[in-house]
Amino acid sequence: MRSADEAHGEGIVVRGLTKVFYTTVRRPGFAGAVRSLIAPQRAAKTVVRDVSFDVARGELLALLGPNGAGKSTTIKMLTGILTPTRGAVMVAGMNPHLDRKRNARNIGAVFGQRTQLWWDLPAKESFTILRSIYGVPAERHRARLAELDRLLELSEFWQTRVRHLSLGQRVRCDLAAALLHDPAIVFLDEPTIGMDVVVKEQVRGLLRHEVEQRGRAVLLTTHDMTEVERLAERVVLINHGRIVLDGTLEEVRREFGGTWRIRATIADSALSASSPSSQAVRARDLPSGLELLSQDRTELVFAPAAATGYTPAITVPEALRAVVDRYPIVGISIEETDLEDAMRAAYLRQGVATAEPEPETGPGQDAGQVVS
Amino acid sequence: MWRSFTEAWRVAWQITALNFRAQLEYRVEFLIRIAFGIVWQLSIIVFAAVLLSKFSGMGGWTSSQILLLVATRMLCNGLYVLYCGSVFSLAFYVQQGLIDGYLLRPMPVFRQVQLVAFQTNGIGDLLVGVGLFAGAIARSPLDWTPSRIAYLAAGVIGGTLLITAVFTAVSAAALHFPASWYWSLWISEVSATFGSYPLSILPRAVGELLTWLLPIAFIAYLPVGVLTGHGAGLGVPIAIAAGAPLVALAMYIGSRLLWNWSLRHYTGVNG
Amino acid sequence: MIEPNPRQPLALRAAWITPLGELLAPPRIAATAIRMVIQIFLVVYLWHGLYSHTSTNSGLDRGQAVTFAVLAVLITRIRGLDRFAGRDTVFQHLAYGTIVYWFLRPLAPRRYYVLRALGDQAYGFAWVVVGYAACLASGVIEPPASGTAAAACAASLLLGQAVLYELTLLTDLMCFWTMHNDSAVQMIQFAQNLLSGAYAPLWYFPAWFITMSSFLPFQSTLNTPLSLYIGRIPVRQAPGDLLFQTAWVVALALISRLLWGRASRRVAVQGG
Repeated sequence: MRSADEAHGEGIVVRGLTKVFYTTVRRPGFAGAVRSLIAPQRAAKTVVRDVSFDVARGELLALLGPNGAGKSTTIKMLTGILTPTRGAVMVAGMNPHLDRKRNARNIGAVFGQRTQLWWDLPAKESFTILRSIYGVPAERHRARLAELDRLLELSEFWQTRVRHLSLGQRVRCDLAAALLHDPAIVFLDEPTIGMDVVVKEQVRGLLRHEVEQRGRAVLLTTHDMTEVERLAERVVLINHGRIVLDGTLEEVRREFGGTWRIRATIADSALSASSPSSQAVRARDLPSGLELLSQDRTELVFAPAAATGYTPAITVPEALRAVVDRYPIVGISIEETDLEDAMRAAYLRQGVATAEPEPETGPGQDAGQVVS
Repeated sequence: MWRSFTEAWRVAWQITALNFRAQLEYRVEFLIRIAFGIVWQLSIIVFAAVLLSKFSGMGGWTSSQILLLVATRMLCNGLYVLYCGSVFSLAFYVQQGLIDGYLLRPMPVFRQVQLVAFQTNGIGDLLVGVGLFAGAIARSPLDWTPSRIAYLAAGVIGGTLLITAVFTAVSAAALHFPASWYWSLWISEVSATFGSYPLSILPRAVGELLTWLLPIAFIAYLPVGVLTGHGAGLGVPIAIAAGAPLVALAMYIGSRLLWNWSLRHYTGVNG
Repeated sequence: MIEPNPRQPLALRAAWITPLGELLAPPRIAATAIRMVIQIFLVVYLWHGLYSHTSTNSGLDRGQAVTFAVLAVLITRIRGLDRFAGRDTVFQHLAYGTIVYWFLRPLAPRRYYVLRALGDQAYGFAWVVVGYAACLASGVIEPPASGTAAAACAASLLLGQAVLYELTLLTDLMCFWTMHNDSAVQMIQFAQNLLSGAYAPLWYFPAWFITMSSFLPFQSTLNTPLSLYIGRIPVRQAPGDLLFQTAWVVALALISRLLWGRASRRVAVQGG
């Protein structure tokens, strides 16, 4: 049984990562354009600010955030392409920027639309070249290729030149190329963008296999909430270059959206029996741990009340029993809150929070703690 | 219809102005390009002058006549670069998926390609071309009657249209085959090399090749040849030689039609 | 993680990439052949035409001039095989962002670049050999002035290729600083074409021009080797010229070495 530290040490460890870019300021107007020709002005832009999180082996972390939040920059720093302005990164125990060649053997990456395959050659040839580059023995290469073929159905089109492949086919080949040399750590920057549902499912199946059977550490950035729900145990949310949230899906839902709602239809008789006004229903004691979101004559919507330090959050069975016990129910249904709604709330919350001074996130912070 | 025509020109002019300003943003690049254009053209002059001085009797052409030939070609090339230079790199734009986007806009795709960026090299080309052209005319012993001037003007316009036609035709292939870029490069080389000599120094068969297969002759050689009185020895019937501007116009129209036809069959970049 | 297997033919595989792409497209091979043949054809007639009234000019007779010109056309086959259609130039990799993968593999970008360039040049050389044999057999060009001249030419050509490789590398490296490096590329290409003697042997140019270009590296890529071949440069002068070429190779190599480091760092600081 490995210790938590060891497991983390073999995965991705990020502490206080910061990245500042310098750009030339463009002055308006023709005169400004000419002046910029002679004496350019520079501006600093902090794209990633003090980001810290971990990804252990056998874990898939989803890195979320709106466009321009700093996700791609963060991944580039983790893969060693960009040097952080401040902070530390360790990938499988190595500094990716300093130890580039050795680190390269440990990682595989797919950057969304960008392909690493050779445009003019059939995909299979690209795999062969990569085999040589990574030094994979022939039998292992064959076995690995067969395995990936089984999961992604590559043999149908790997003799076609990459130029003629559809997007879904190409991304599958890129995934295979990234995994061919058995890397311990995998970075995926929006890999399934623009792909159809069938291919997305194939890719997800592959990722689940790689994480669970092969114990890789996978860092995935995506906009697709279904993907997050199906694949990620943990989620890190970045907005404006900062971490807004670092926790499990459950925690996200609980923090930002409530997990479920109960829609109950009560009998007409309950209304008229007590009083003509609907206030009668509300007057009754609500089961503890539940709040009434809305009432439309006989339609009631309940949600779990926010958990306080003293009262644990009510569970779904308890809530159901409470509602059925207290009200004459004709119909009842349970809904799960959309993860997307929870995310939206999380983004918005950050918008409010940036007005206040942010608490410093230091290296002592445990993973899994919700940061608000 | 007249209004839509002027409107189209206004939009094109606006975009060109924006493109020009965009070029100014890349400060060093902008200046280098102009300087480079000038240097390149000056060197071609040096080169031509050298060969002129070393090899006498170039197919019966005097040095001032050859100078007019070289200058005309240079001017035509400069004008082509400014008017339609972007067509040369069409394969690159296709790869980037720009054409797919252009097809969705309410402007002819060809025009959008022309307006993709301001061809700064053209400025240098044009500056030298104009300078050389002025010098050639000054040195020419010809009597510049209005009709001669008009014909020369027509010749310059025709030459520009012809160069445009050739590269447009090749770029029609670029819509489907990225490797056609190599042909564009090659044609550019060949026309730069052979377009500056009177084709009468080559054997007749070769001259024919450069007249009918790759119509370099129509750019400057034929019109200038007619102007300088070489009408008989040009290798083509005098009527066609004199009508070079018209032939050029026909070829230009043909190439545009070919391009449109090619565009209709465009299948887009990979999915 | 997998340990590198030293018996893998990495160098060959990487070098073979562009030729493989070309060979998989017969129309491209045919097109290259056609362009080469037409150009040789035109060039031969051009120089015959220029020499129709003279027998010797600037120390070159017609046979020598034609040989020079034809060999120049052939040798430009080895000039960096254009990878544009394969979306494989450094410029395109930077434009599409696929350059990131160069820095993610356990193969140094610099080494990868060299391997690719070697592969391209070897492929181009195959064309040269075929073309040379055909032209020699058909009497279009003359055989070398002497055995030693041929050897000197070969050595000079090798060094010239190294110079050209370094120059190309420098323009490619420029991409890392500005995506608008077309001017620099064109300038080098143009200087290369003009000053190497690809348009016309440098011997026709005024003395000051020849002197000027003797200080620059460009003439060593073409004018020097070919002049040795046709005997315009006597063989006894060869060692001096070869030494000069070597000096240029070393100087340019040092600059490019320095720039590779800077380029990698620039990617690290500013992104692709």
